[in-house]
This record gives sequence, structure tokens and C-alpha cells, in this order.
Amino acid sequence: MIRFEHVTKKYGDSVILDDLSFEIKEGEFAVLIGPSGCGKTTTLKSINRLIEPDAGHIYVNGKDIAETDPVKLRRSIGYVIQQIGLFPNMTVAQNIGVVPKRLKYEKSEILKITRELMDMVDMSYDEYGHKYPSELSGGQQQRIGVLRALAASPPIVLMDEPFGALDPMTRSSLQEEIIRLHKKLHKTFVFVTHDMDEALKLADKIIFMEGGHIIQMATPEEMLENPASDLIRSFMGKRAADSAPVQLTAADFMRPNPISVYKNRGIRECTEIMARRHIDSLLIKNDDDTYAGVVSVNSIKRSGKTTGPIGEVPLSENAVSYVTEDAMESFDKLLNSDKDYVVVLNEDDTIAGIVTKTSMAKAMADALWGDAQ
Amino acid sequence: MNFWNLYGHKLLVAIGVHFLYVLAAVSIGFVVALTLGILLSRVPSIAKMALPLISVFQTIPGVVFIGLLFLSLGMVPATAIVALAIYAVFPILKNTYVGLLSVDKSLLEAARGCGMSKMQSLFEVELPLALPSIIGGLRMSTVYTVSWAVLASMIGLGGLGEFIYIGIATNNNALIVAGAIPSGIMAILLSLLIDAVKKRITHAPQKEASAA
Repeated sequence: MIRFEHVTKKYGDSVILDDLSFEIKEGEFAVLIGPSGCGKTTTLKSINRLIEPDAGHIYVNGKDIAETDPVKLRRSIGYVIQQIGLFPNMTVAQNIGVVPKRLKYEKSEILKITRELMDMVDMSYDEYGHKYPSELSGGQQQRIGVLRALAASPPIVLMDEPFGALDPMTRSSLQEEIIRLHKKLHKTFVFVTHDMDEALKLADKIIFMEGGHIIQMATPEEMLENPASDLIRSFMGKRAADSAPVQLTAADFMRPNPISVYKNRGIRECTEIMARRHIDSLLIKNDDDTYAGVVSVNSIKRSGKTTGPIGEVPLSENAVSYVTEDAMESFDKLLNSDKDYVVVLNEDDTIAGIVTKTSMAKAMADALWGDAQ
Repeated sequence: MNFWNLYGHKLLVAIGVHFLYVLAAVSIGFVVALTLGILLSRVPSIAKMALPLISVFQTIPGVVFIGLLFLSLGMVPATAIVALAIYAVFPILKNTYVGLLSVDKSLLEAARGCGMSKMQSLFEVELPLALPSIIGGLRMSTVYTVSWAVLASMIGLGGLGEFIYIGIATNNNALIVAGAIPSGIMAILLSLLIDAVKKRITHAPQKEASAA
């Protein structure tokens, strides 16, 4: 869809784009990110020829854009800027219709498109169509800014930090909307940001730039797992896995020292423990401390016994993991079983702990946001 | 009432002539200034040299100028109109230039990014946004021209100045007042008219972009 081949751009002595080659595929949501001055905006603006490279070629749909009429090219590429840039002398509807009007659409057609687009972002034409941009909030203005870029149904939409000037709440709701629009419209989006959270949230592919080079071009998943440089790692902050991803095991996620009783303890004593601890089942162990099974309140009730050792109540099966087992597998067992927990055993079959949904969530939170708190 | 019987007809003619001078001079000045302002705004580097040069014209006393033109063109209304038009140019030119340059750069980029040609950007974005400033210049020019048009009578071309000059020459206060008051009223009315027009065509609430 968009292909850069050895593109170079210099301002005086400083090299902004240094022999840049990459490709963005059709329908992809590509996010350009990097520190300021890395060339991300220059890259974006050279796609619609707002900036002309000094060397190299850029192909859009297989055609070298240097050979196309820039005005025509721009009408086939949507463009959204950080400063929003709605024309204050035109109404909302006129702003949305700017490109279709250039392309000589019928008036009725433009009206229809405008209505449809405004419905898509929940701003009704009847209420907002005839307002001027200055009468809208920042978030509403940028919604219209995005709609203006989409109005002539261009296959490519370029966005230059479109949400950079909005407050966090508005930004996050616009991010959701842009994801929705991308899913719905199947267009190629190229998006510039310096906010890694935004990039991870939106991108199919993140293109990380520094000093006019691409340092890494990868899916958010790959980049999180395998950041190509320390700079990228610092951009990711705590979200990135530390160096080589450690294989997490069930032991990392379990709650240690669960309540367990020997087989020969009395039933009455056991129900007493359950009542006191507010739990509805107990782990039962053999005399040699090995795991025997689980007894639940229900199975005690069903057995009809009120006295005698707990070992006489039929033990129920429960999903079991070993401490060395991959954490993923014990999660799968937990999620696939109807039980509330997975019993984790040591190598010698003694009880090590249990993995519950709560312990899993807590461990995930620790991994994401660090061990603080 | 005696005064009215004596001068009434003459006064009406003088007001009419005066108004026509203003109308013709400001119209010509407006077209010239707008064109020049647009051209200069395309090349700010040249404008930075040209504008101070043009403003020097403004400092030549009207009497000198009208006198010089009288020598080359003779005692025809064109002399007065050309002289007044030249004076009318500068305020409009300056405000057009300033108004166009103060259009937000991000809007120019948005216009380009939307695939507007340079002409479309100029006529659909830049000029509409500079309009409040341009009209501010127009109003200033109009008010000045009403007072400068008094000079036309100096070379015998009539207008309200005739009353004032004759009044001064014959020490007749009534004549001076009869010339001064209508020209004052004319300036106020035209200024109000232009303000009303400005209000009408600049519908959107937008910031004033001028040094008017």
C-alpha cells in the first residue's frame, strides 16, 4: 500500500530521514513513534507530499507519488493534524464536505455522507451540522477533524498526533472510536504519536524511529516481548518484560500454605475449620504429607456423616499442577475446570499452594505494574 | 432659515460630490490594496521592504500630492479621485497583509492536506479569515478619505471643502460649520454602515486578526 524506498531528507546539515525503507500493508493500522526529532512526522508528511524527500521513492498503491499531482494525491489521502485545523469560517458540515466538494460530488451525496459520518461518532447532523467549530469542545472538534479526513472515503488516512492536545479522558474515548472506525472501514491508517500507551492500544504494527532510522518495526506484542533497543525499552517503561522473558511457573502465581488437614481428623473439626475460615472446601493430605484430595461442604452433607475421620468422606478430584509447570498451563486448568482453584504440588506430591483467580490476577498486576503496593 | 434658502441647494450638491469622491476613491483604493496585499502576502520577504516604502507615501502631505497631480492631470475630478485613492490604499493594504499573514499556519497546512489548491486555500480559507481585518482597514480608509476629500476644493473641484475654504476666507463661521458637520456625519454613517456589513458577513465567532 505504502512503500518507502531509500528515502532521505535533509535540512541543511541535519539528516531527518536517513535512507528509510519500509512498507505498510493495506488495511494496517501503523503507528510511527519515537523521541522528538526522530523523523516520524516528516515520514508521515512525505506520504501526502507536504514534505518532499531529497532522495528515494515513495510508492502509494504501486505508484511513485513524485509523479502524481500533489493536490490530487492529497484528495485521496485523509489527513488529521494535532491542531485539529477545522476551518473556523465554515460550519461543521462544510468542514466535513471540504474534500468531497473538491472532488465535485453531488450536493445531496455530500449531505448523505456527512450525516452518515456524524452518526458514526454520535454527533447528530441536525444538532451539530450547522454549528461553527468554535462552538464545539476540543474532543468534538477532533471528531469532526477525523470525519473530514474520512469524508471522501480515502484508502489511506494520515494522523499526526491527532489526540495530543486533548485531555486524557477525551483522548481515551477518541482512541476507542478510532479503533472502531478502523475495524469498520478497513482503511490503512498511519498514525504518529510519542505516547507508547497510545501506540500499544491502537497499532497493528508499531514503527519505532530514532535519528531518521527505523529501530524496530513490529506488532505491539513482539515489541513488548522483544524491544530492540534500550530506548524502546525505556519508552515501554514497565510494560516491557525485563530482558529475556522469564518462564513463569505455577509457583509464581500460587497462594502458598493453603489450609489442609490430615485424613484422620474428625469431620466435625473440619466443618468447624471451614466455618471459621469462611471456605467451602478443604485440602486433605495423607499421613506422609502427600496430597490425597479435596473435601467440600457439599460432599460432607451428601455423605450424611457427622462423626468419624474426614478420610471416610469421599474425596473429590481437583485439577492439579506441579510447581515447575508452566504458569499458562495451570491457568488453562483453572479456567477450564468448574473448580475455584488448582492445587499446586511439590515434586514429592506434598501440597505447595493453590492457584485461584484472585492470585492469578494479583500476579498479573505485579508483572504489569511492578511489585509496589 | 435664511442660510438654507441661500446655500441649501449648493450644500446638497456639495455633499453629493463629496460622497462620490469618497466612493470612487475608496473603491479604487480597495481593489488596488486588496490585490497588492494578496500579492505581498505570498512573498513576505519582499513585503518587508515594500510596505515601509509604501508607507512613506502616506507621510507626504495631501496638499502637496494633490497639487502635483493637478499639474500633470489638470483640473478634472480624476485628479482628486486618484490622489484620494492613493491615500486610501495604505490602511487597507496593511490590514489585508497583516490579516492574511495572521491566519493560523495549521489551517494552511490543513487546507493543503485536504487537497486545496493555492487559489482555493486563498479564497476559501485565508481571505474569509482575514476579512474582519480587511474590513477594518476599509473602514479606516473610508473615514480618512471623507476628511481628505475636503482638499478637492483646493483645486476648485467642489465638495464640502468648498464651504469650509470659502468660510475661512470670508470669515463666515456658518459656512465653515455647514461644510464640517455634513462631512463629520458622513464619516460616522459610512463607518457604521461598514461595521454592519462586517457583522453580517463574519458570522462565525472568531478572533479579530488585525491591528485595526
